[in-house]
Amino acid sequence: MIKVDRVYKRYKENQYALSDCSLEIDRGEFVFVVGASGSGKSTLLRLLLREERPDSGEVWVAGKELSAMPGWKVPFFRRNIGSIFQDFRLLPNKTVFDNVGFALEVIGKSKRHITTQVPQMLELVGLHDKQERFPDELSGGEQQRVAIARAFINKPLILLADEPTGNLDPENSWSVMGLLERINRTGTTVLMATHDVGIVDSMRRRVIELENGQIKRDQTRGVYGLGQTST
Amino acid sequence: MAISLEYVVKETSGNLWRNRLMSLAAVLTISVSLALAGASLLLKQGVSTATSQWKGGVQLLIFMQPTATNAQTSTVERQLKSLPEIKSYYYMDQAKSYQEFKQLMANSPDLLQSVTESQIPPSFRVVLKNPSAAPSVGSLFQQQAGVKDVNFNRGAINTMLHVTSIAQFVIVGLAAILLISASVLILNVIRVAIFSRRREVAVMKLVGATNWFIRVPFMLEGMVQGLVGSIVAAGAVVGIQALFQYVIQHFNVTILSNFLVSSHDVLMTELFVVAMGIIVGTAGSAFAVRRYLEV
Ligand SMILES: Nc1ncnc2c1ncn2[C@@H]1O[C@H](COP(=O)(O)OP(=O)(O)OP(=O)(O)O)[C@@H](O)[C@H]1O
Ligand SMILES: [Mg+2]
Repeated sequence: MIKVDRVYKRYKENQYALSDCSLEIDRGEFVFVVGASGSGKSTLLRLLLREERPDSGEVWVAGKELSAMPGWKVPFFRRNIGSIFQDFRLLPNKTVFDNVGFALEVIGKSKRHITTQVPQMLELVGLHDKQERFPDELSGGEQQRVAIARAFINKPLILLADEPTGNLDPENSWSVMGLLERINRTGTTVLMATHDVGIVDSMRRRVIELENGQIKRDQTRGVYGLGQTST
Repeated sequence: MAISLEYVVKETSGNLWRNRLMSLAAVLTISVSLALAGASLLLKQGVSTATSQWKGGVQLLIFMQPTATNAQTSTVERQLKSLPEIKSYYYMDQAKSYQEFKQLMANSPDLLQSVTESQIPPSFRVVLKNPSAAPSVGSLFQQQAGVKDVNFNRGAINTMLHVTSIAQFVIVGLAAILLISASVLILNVIRVAIFSRRREVAVMKLVGATNWFIRVPFMLEGMVQGLVGSIVAAGAVVGIQALFQYVIQHFNVTILSNFLVSSHDVLMTELFVVAMGIIVGTAGSAFAVRRYLEV
């Protein structure tokens, strides 16, 4: 599903955000990406979303090689990828319903499709009674659930999450993780960058650790940091 | 991929409304500049029709009777050849004169109908070495057999041609400057629109909206501004033209009595004005989209 092959990426001369980075992720996996601040987690996710291109190496996502993909194909590629972020990225002047519907509207889906799909999706994330609220009338956790509804409404093959619980209290973090697990059970591959030790340690999923842009550790049923949790 | 009309209309009108003051400024600038450009084009047309008989520095017109015989015509011609004051001349036969008449009278179909080619006087168009000799040379032919009438350019026509060509130069220059400012204004309006919608644009890119889907509403916004501006300008051009005709007729400005723009000229000018408006609007927004909308 995802294959990164000897990828180098730098933003500035002689300062690699990723160097010689290779990894493979199968369909349906749930993978945490951990590592210190600046270790290259977001860069990795941006490469997978083709917001950035590698300086060298190959990035394969859903059967497509991204560094050679022409620009006009990128939007169609992205329709197979859902993404959520620490800052939610909701539109403040649109209601919950319209925020989720927007994702369908801008890829040319019909009104009827939108009016049937959006409520179903909001039901799934438990926000069907808040359809007409605006983002600033919701808690952080609720806002992130709206973002998840928007990311998942096209039933993407892959969900990329960059610190989705970074701004949330533990309770809201867990409700978000619950949703991501449910999404993962439908067969969607989930790749999540995080600093949240508790979540990583208790979920016991595959963990990839980055250090200075290199893969330091790749562990199935791993934990956040090797040292702290050997018990 | 089909871009839904409803979406485009909603987005474009939303953008226009949000930036209504700046949009208005852009529209007005386009209107003024294109009204100037259009009026100046019509002025050129009108003056060129009014003075078509005097083209090429002609200072003396000798009209022959439509019924003049070949012998009478060649007598006049022989005399023209022999006169030292004359630099050059040419002969407009009935067929050519009739063509010219048709152009001059393009807006008066009734008159055109009632006149046939055989009623049109042919003429000699004469260029003199010294324009001030026109009256004296003209008087030589006044009484000649077969000559209907002699007209000479008292310099007023030259002055008019001169003045209008300067006026036109100034007007076109002004219009060009205003058009450039209009497209810069539009560029700025679109830039602000793009900036104020950068969150939407980021989300659109994230969920896989195509580049054209993102661009079209912004491009259309500039195009609509250009179009509205040019329609206002087109109205103004018709108004200016009507006013001018009225003044000429009402105050009997004889030198411009032939000043006339055919409805065909007006139509072409209006089309030009509208096309320019659309081009300027689209160019301004296309530039802004290229420069500021990173898709
Ligand atoms: N747009 C950019 N321009 C220049 N340098 C950048 C850019 N984005 C990231 N970097 C640099 O690349 C390196 C990796 O950054 P990245 O954002 O991938 O780290 P991260 O692991 O996501 O960090 P964090 O945990 O703080 O989010 C850092 O040194 C960072 O300064
Ligand atoms: Mg990051």
